[in-house]
Amino acid sequence: MNTPPDPASADGANATAGSPRPHPLKVRIKVLHATVKGRARYHVSTLQRSETFAVQLQRQLSALEGIVSARPSALTGNVLLHYDPVLTPEAVLALLKKGIRRALTGARYTRATASPAAGRDWQGFKRQVNRLLDSLSSLHDARTTAEEAEAEAGAPTPATPASDWYHTPLEQLLEQIATGKDDGLSEDEANARLRRYGLNELPKLSKRSELAILIEQFMSVPVGLLATSAVVSVATGGVLDAVVIMSVVAINAGIGFFTERQAEKTITSLTKTQTRYAHVMRGGKVQQVSHARVAPGDLLLLSPGDFVAADARLVRSHRLTVDESALTGESLPVVKSSHMRCDDKTPLADRLNMVHMGTMVTGGSGSAVVVATGAATELGKIQSMVGATRPPETPMQMQLEKIGTQLAVISSAVCASVFVIGLLRGQSFLQMLKSAISLAVAAVPEGLPTVATTTLALGIRNMQQHHVAIRRLNAVETLGSVQVFCLDKTGTLTLNKMTVVATHVGGRSIVISGAQFITDAEVIDPVGRADYLRFLQVLVLCNESETTQQGDAVVFDGSPTENALLELAINAGIDIDALRAQLPRLKIQYRSEIRPYMWTCHKLSDTTQLVAIKGSPLQVLDMCRFHYGDDGLQQLDDDAKARILAANDDMAGDALRVLGVAYAEQPLGNEDVYQDLVWLGLSGMIDPLRTGMPDLIHTFHQAGIQTVMITGDQSATAYAIGRQLGLNQDGSLQILDSTRLDKLDADLLRGVIDKVHVFARVSPAHKLQIVQALQQSGKVVAMTGDGINDGPALKASDIGVAMGGATTDVARSVSAVVLEDDNLHTMVDAIHQGRAIYNNIRKSVHYLISTNLSEIEVMLAGISLGFGQALNPMQLLWINLVSDIFPGLALSMEAPEPDLMRQAPRDPTEQIIRKQDLMRMFRESTIISAGAMTSYAYALLRYGPGPQANTHTFNTLTLAQLIHAYSCRSDHYSIFSKEKLPRNRYLSLAMGGSITLQLLAMSIPGLRSLLGASRLGLLDTVVVAGNAVLPLLINEAIKETAKRTNRPALTDQTGHRANHKTTRKKNRKTAGKRTRKSTDKTRDTTTKNTGPLPGQTMEDLS
Amino acid sequence: MKSEFVFTSESVTEGHPDKLCDQISDAIVDQFLQYDPYSRILAECAVANGVIFIAARFASTAAVDIPDVARRIINRVGYSGGDFNAQDCTILTNFTELPSSAHDTSDERELDDKGHSKYPAKHHATAFGFACTQTAELMPLPISLAHHLAQRLTAVRVDNSLPYLLPDATIQVAIEYKQQKPYRVHSINLVTSHNPLTELQAKTMQSDLIEQVFTPVIEQQDVRFDTRTKIFVNPEGPVIGGGPAQHSGLTGRKNAVDTYGQYSRSSGSALSGKDPTRIDRIGTYMARYAAKNIVSAGLAEQCEVQLSYTIGQAKPVSVQVETYGTGKVGEDDIAARIQAHLDFRPSAIIAQFNLRQLPAMPASGFYQHLAAYGHVGRTELELPWEKTDKAEALK
Repeated sequence: MNTPPDPASADGANATAGSPRPHPLKVRIKVLHATVKGRARYHVSTLQRSETFAVQLQRQLSALEGIVSARPSALTGNVLLHYDPVLTPEAVLALLKKGIRRALTGARYTRATASPAAGRDWQGFKRQVNRLLDSLSSLHDARTTAEEAEAEAGAPTPATPASDWYHTPLEQLLEQIATGKDDGLSEDEANARLRRYGLNELPKLSKRSELAILIEQFMSVPVGLLATSAVVSVATGGVLDAVVIMSVVAINAGIGFFTERQAEKTITSLTKTQTRYAHVMRGGKVQQVSHARVAPGDLLLLSPGDFVAADARLVRSHRLTVDESALTGESLPVVKSSHMRCDDKTPLADRLNMVHMGTMVTGGSGSAVVVATGAATELGKIQSMVGATRPPETPMQMQLEKIGTQLAVISSAVCASVFVIGLLRGQSFLQMLKSAISLAVAAVPEGLPTVATTTLALGIRNMQQHHVAIRRLNAVETLGSVQVFCLDKTGTLTLNKMTVVATHVGGRSIVISGAQFITDAEVIDPVGRADYLRFLQVLVLCNESETTQQGDAVVFDGSPTENALLELAINAGIDIDALRAQLPRLKIQYRSEIRPYMWTCHKLSDTTQLVAIKGSPLQVLDMCRFHYGDDGLQQLDDDAKARILAANDDMAGDALRVLGVAYAEQPLGNEDVYQDLVWLGLSGMIDPLRTGMPDLIHTFHQAGIQTVMITGDQSATAYAIGRQLGLNQDGSLQILDSTRLDKLDADLLRGVIDKVHVFARVSPAHKLQIVQALQQSGKVVAMTGDGINDGPALKASDIGVAMGGATTDVARSVSAVVLEDDNLHTMVDAIHQGRAIYNNIRKSVHYLISTNLSEIEVMLAGISLGFGQALNPMQLLWINLVSDIFPGLALSMEAPEPDLMRQAPRDPTEQIIRKQDLMRMFRESTIISAGAMTSYAYALLRYGPGPQANTHTFNTLTLAQLIHAYSCRSDHYSIFSKEKLPRNRYLSLAMGGSITLQLLAMSIPGLRSLLGASRLGLLDTVVVAGNAVLPLLINEAIKETAKRTNRPALTDQTGHRANHKTTRKKNRKTAGKRTRKSTDKTRDTTTKNTGPLPGQTMEDLS
Repeated sequence: MKSEFVFTSESVTEGHPDKLCDQISDAIVDQFLQYDPYSRILAECAVANGVIFIAARFASTAAVDIPDVARRIINRVGYSGGDFNAQDCTILTNFTELPSSAHDTSDERELDDKGHSKYPAKHHATAFGFACTQTAELMPLPISLAHHLAQRLTAVRVDNSLPYLLPDATIQVAIEYKQQKPYRVHSINLVTSHNPLTELQAKTMQSDLIEQVFTPVIEQQDVRFDTRTKIFVNPEGPVIGGGPAQHSGLTGRKNAVDTYGQYSRSSGSALSGKDPTRIDRIGTYMARYAAKNIVSAGLAEQCEVQLSYTIGQAKPVSVQVETYGTGKVGEDDIAARIQAHLDFRPSAIIAQFNLRQLPAMPASGFYQHLAAYGHVGRTELELPWEKTDKAEALK
C-alpha cells in the first residue's frame, strides 16, 4: 500500500469518515501470469491482507461483463481472473482496474451509515440491521473493564501523533514526543499516555450476537413470503393456516438459529489471536508488556521473531530486517536502518527508518520509539479504510450466494408464471396467490450459504479433534484443492537430530538401531570389544560438546554432530564425565578450512599422552600407520586401506556424514602429534527420516498431490533421501541445486519447477521463490515451516502449514493450518477432511436444489397441463419443512467416500456447482417429478380432482425427495455399486425421523386435515411407494451405467492437471471405441477422466 | 582429390559452452568410474541462460554428487566470477537409475579369447579412425593447429599474460595445400571473449595475440606463416563476457572438434558422457589406433579405417581401409593385417586400453581431459590409442 502523505488522510479517524471524495489510495497492479487465454493472475497491492477488500473485489469483478470469475486472495494479494478469451490483455486489465475502483468505493460505502448503495439491496439492509444489533448488544456487554473505559474516554484526542515522523530529524522527534532515547518513558507517563491516546488496539472484529443471529433468521425472502402468505390466510379466514405457517417459520428459524450459533462460535474462534508481548524500555528498565499497553513514546526493543507492536521510528539498529508484507505486500524482508533519511514524499514501503505495527522482525536487532498506536498506525488506517469488521466469506460461500440468488430469481419467475397460468386456467385469485407464495417458500433455495457455513464450521471442529488447527475459514476448502505440497526436509521429514547409525570398526560394520549395536544380525556389547571401546573413547575425548546434568536428563551443549557422537558413547554405556576426568585434556586443535579434522591431546600417565583425532576419513586415514583390529596393532597396508575406503564409500552412498577416527599413544610432550597414528574406524551419522515418511509421500502421490522437498543439503544427500522417500514416483528424480534461486530467471524457474522433486542447497529465505514460482505456474501450494525464516513463504503459500513443535510464534501466526501433534501424517487427515467437507457441501446443495426443483416442476406441470394444483399450499410448506432441513444437514455430515484420497485434487478454479451438476439436478428432479405426476394422474383417474389426488402427489413427492438423499451421497457411487459407501448414521436418523413425521401427518386426523390430505388405500399406498422409489432406481441406474461405461455422468474431483490432457486423449479414445461399445466395459483403474456431458451418456444408453 | 586446395577446421577452448557440457559429462563419467569401475553411466548436459541441465542415467554403486562435479569443472574452466559462475549457478539434475541388470561387474581384462565373444556390441555403430603424415602426431594439420592454438590461448589466459582474456573462444584455421601437402597458413579466425578493453588493449590485442599465441604455435609446424596469412580477431566486434551466460551449450555438438576437424569422416554420435561399454565411443578410439599404426608402419601416408558393428555380434561386421592412393600395399591386404593383429571386439578394446581403470589412475580423472582439444592426436596425454606399438607387427 502506498499512501502519499496527504494531510487530510493523515489522521486515521478523518480518513474513515466515509465521505465519497476520490480515494487517496494508490493501487499498484502487477501482471503475474497472463500467458493462458482466458485466465490471468495479477498482484494488487491493496489486496494483500485485506480480506474485506478481497470480498468486495470479488463481488465487483464478478459483476463485470467479460469476467467469468474472479478469485482475489487477501493472503497473497493476487487475483486470479477467468475472463472471456476474446478480451485483449489490456481490456482485462482495464476491467480489473474498474473492479478495483468500484470495490474501493464500495468498501467505503459499507462503512458509511447512510449509504444509498447499501440501502438498496437486501444484503445491505441485513448488514445494517446487524450492525445496529451489534451496537445494541455491545452496550449490554459488561466485559468492558474500567481501564479500557478510561482509555476509550480519551481516545479521540487529536494529539495522537501525525504521520510525518519518518522525515522529522530524530532529535527533534524525540523532543516532540518527549521521550528518552535510552531510558524510554517512565511508568507513570506511559500510563498517562495510554489514558490519553487509548490502548494500542485495532478495532476488533465484531462478533454477531445471538440476538443478531436469531433476528437474522427472520430477515429472509422466504420468511417475508411466508408472512405475506399468513396475512393472506388471515384475510381469507384461514386463521389456522396462518398459525401453521407461522409455526413453520418458527421451526425453521429455530433450527437455523442453533446451527448458525454453533458455526459462528467456531468461526469467530479462528480469528482469536494470542496476546502478543513487546519488550519496551521504561524508566531505564526492560519490561515486557502486552501490545495493547504500548504507548506513544515507548522505546521498543526489537529482536527476531517479534511482531512490531506499533509504528515506531528507529533509534538504533543492527542489521535489522523486517517482513513488511502485511503492510506493503513486499514479500521479501526489508533492511531497516536508523540512519536512513526520508523526505516527506517517501512512500510507505521505502520508509526505512520506521518499523510498522503488524510487521515482523526477521533478523538483527534494534530499538525504536513509538510514534503511533492503535488506529493511528498505518495498519490501523488500512483496516479502517477497508473496514474489516467481519470474517470474510470464502470463495465457495460467495459462489453459493450467487447461485442461490440466481435460482431464487428463476424460481420466483416460475412461481409467478404458475400464478398467472393458474388464473388463466380459472383458479381463484386468492387460492392461486396462496399457492404461488407457498411454492415460492418451498422452492426458493434460501439456505445455500448457510449450509456451507455450517458444514465448514463442523469440519473445523472435526479437524480440531484430529489435532489440526485451522486458522482461516477458507483454508478448509483450499485444503481440498492442494496440488503441490512443499516439505521442509529438516524437522518435517526428519527429526532434526543427528544420529550415528553406522560404524565400521576393526574391519567390521556395526549398525546402530536405537541403543542396540548390531553386526551380522547379532546384538553385541560394544564396550566388550577392545577396538570398539577405544573407538568410543576417542569420540568422547576428541569432542567439543560439553554435558550438563539437568534433572534426570543429560543436556549436550555442542553441534549436532558432536552431540550425536556423545550420545552413541552413552548408549554404549560409557561414563563420559568419568572418562574425561580420568584423561584430562592437554591441548586441542580445532577443525579448520585447511585442516578437515580435529585432535585433542590427553594425559595418559606421567610419561605418556594420548592423541585423539577425528575428521575427514580420507585425510585421517592417510596419516595413519597402523590399524587396530582383532589381533591388536597391525601395519596399515594397501589392502586394509582399500577395505576401509570401500566402507567409507558405502556409508557416503547412503548419504551418511562420515568421520574417520584414529589415536596414538606417545611419550608425554611429544611434539609431532601425528606420529604413529592408529586407525580405529568410521562413524556415519544422519538426520534420520521420521517413521512412515515414504508411505506418507506415497499417500500424497496417490491423492494426486505433487510433493517437493526443500533442503539445504548437497545434491548427493538430497538424492539419497529423495529416493528413499520415493519422491520421484518411479520416474527419474529431478534435483534443482542452487544457492541463489533469487538470481535465477523467473520465467525459467517457472518453466522447470513443475518437474522438480527436490530443491537442494536452498536457504529458507528462498522458499518464497519456490512457492511463488509454483503459484505462478498455476498450482495451489501448501508449504510446511517452523522457523522465522519460513514466515514469508508460509504466508505466501495457499496453505501454510506450521508444525506444532514450531519454536516461533511467527510460523504459527502466519499459517493457515497448524498441526498440533507435530506429525505430518495429520496433514493427510487434514487434506482428506478438506476434500470431504467440500464434497459434502456439494452433496447438501445438490440435494436441496434438486428437490426444490422437483416441487416447482410438479406445480408447473399440474397447472400448465390443466390438471389443477398438484399440491396445496399447506402441503408445499410441509414438504419444505420435512424434506429439506434434516436430510440436507445429514448429507453435510457424510463420511468421506472411500476413493477420495485416490483422486486428483479438485481444480481450484472450478465452481462448486458446475454446469454438469445443474444438468444432473435437472435430470434427477424431472424423473422425481415424473413419478409424482404419475401418482397424481393415477389418482385423478381413480378419484377425480380434489384432496385425494393431492394426497397422492404429496406423499409420492415427499417420499421420493427423502430417498433421493441416498442418490446425493455420491456422484459416482450408486446404490448398485459393489464398493459401498460408509454408513451415515445421521442420514438414517434424518430419514427415519422425516418418514415418521410424514406417517404421523398422514395418521393423526387433525394434522392430516390441516394438510388437506385424506387417507390412502392399500393400492394407493403401493402406487405412491412405487412412484417414489422408482425415480431413485432410475437415477441410480443412470449413474451406475455412466460409471460402468467408463464415462461417469459427472466428473469426480478431477484434478486440473490431469484434466485437459487426459480429457482430450480420452475423448479421442472414446471416439474410436464408440463403434465397439460392447467391449468398452472395462473400468479404468483411476478416475482421472472427465466424462462427457450427460446428454452423450444418454445417447450411448439408448 | 585435387592436389591444391584450402581446408578449414576449428577448435574451441574449454570455456566454450558446448565443450563445457562435454567436460561436465565426462567428469561425471570419470567420477563414477573412479568409485566403481563397472558403473554404467550416461551423462548428458546442456547449459542455457546460465542454468545447467544434467541428465544422468546410471547403474552404479558409486554415490556421485553430480552438481558438485559440475561446479568443480565450471570453476576449473575459469568461470569463478561474473554472471555465470561455479558458486551460484543453478543446476537442475535429472537422475534416472538403470535396472541393476545393466550393472555387470565382470572384468574384461580377465576374459580370454572366447570370453570376448560373449560380449557383443549393443548398438549398430560405424566408427571412423584417421591418420596421416601431416604432423608428428599423425593428424591432419588444420585441426591439429587449431587445437594447439586453442590450448596456447588458454595457457596465455591462465598465466594472466593477457589479463583481459576470458575462457570462451573459437579458433578457425584455413590451410592451403599444395600437392596434397600443407603448404601455408591461409588464414586464422579467432573469436574470443574478453573483459571490457582499455583503449590501449584494444589497439594491441591483435598484435599481442599474434605474438604470444599464433607465432609460437605455428613455428612448431612445418608450414609457412607469412605476411599474406590473413588474421581475423573478433571480426564481428568485441565479445564482452561470452560463455554460458550469453550462448547455450550442449553435450556432443562439437563432433568435428573431438575428432579430425572434418578432414576425414566421423560418426555422428557424441563421444563424451558415455561409459566405455558404448561402442560408438570406444570404436572411434580403436579405429584411430588402427589407422595410426598403419601410417606409422609406413603402409600408407594417409589412411581412414572404418569399423561397422551390429547388435549381437562382437566382431565388427566390416573393417574397411581407405588410403586415398597413398598405400604401399593393397587396402584389402591392410584390412586383413589389422584384423589379424588387432582385436576389435568391444570387451577386448576395453581390456587393452584399460578403459575402466584409467579414470582412477591420475587423481584428476581421464575422460574429462579428452573432452576439450580432441579425443585423438593428444600426445601430451599418453592415450593408449595413440601408441604405435603394433606398427612393427603390421609391416
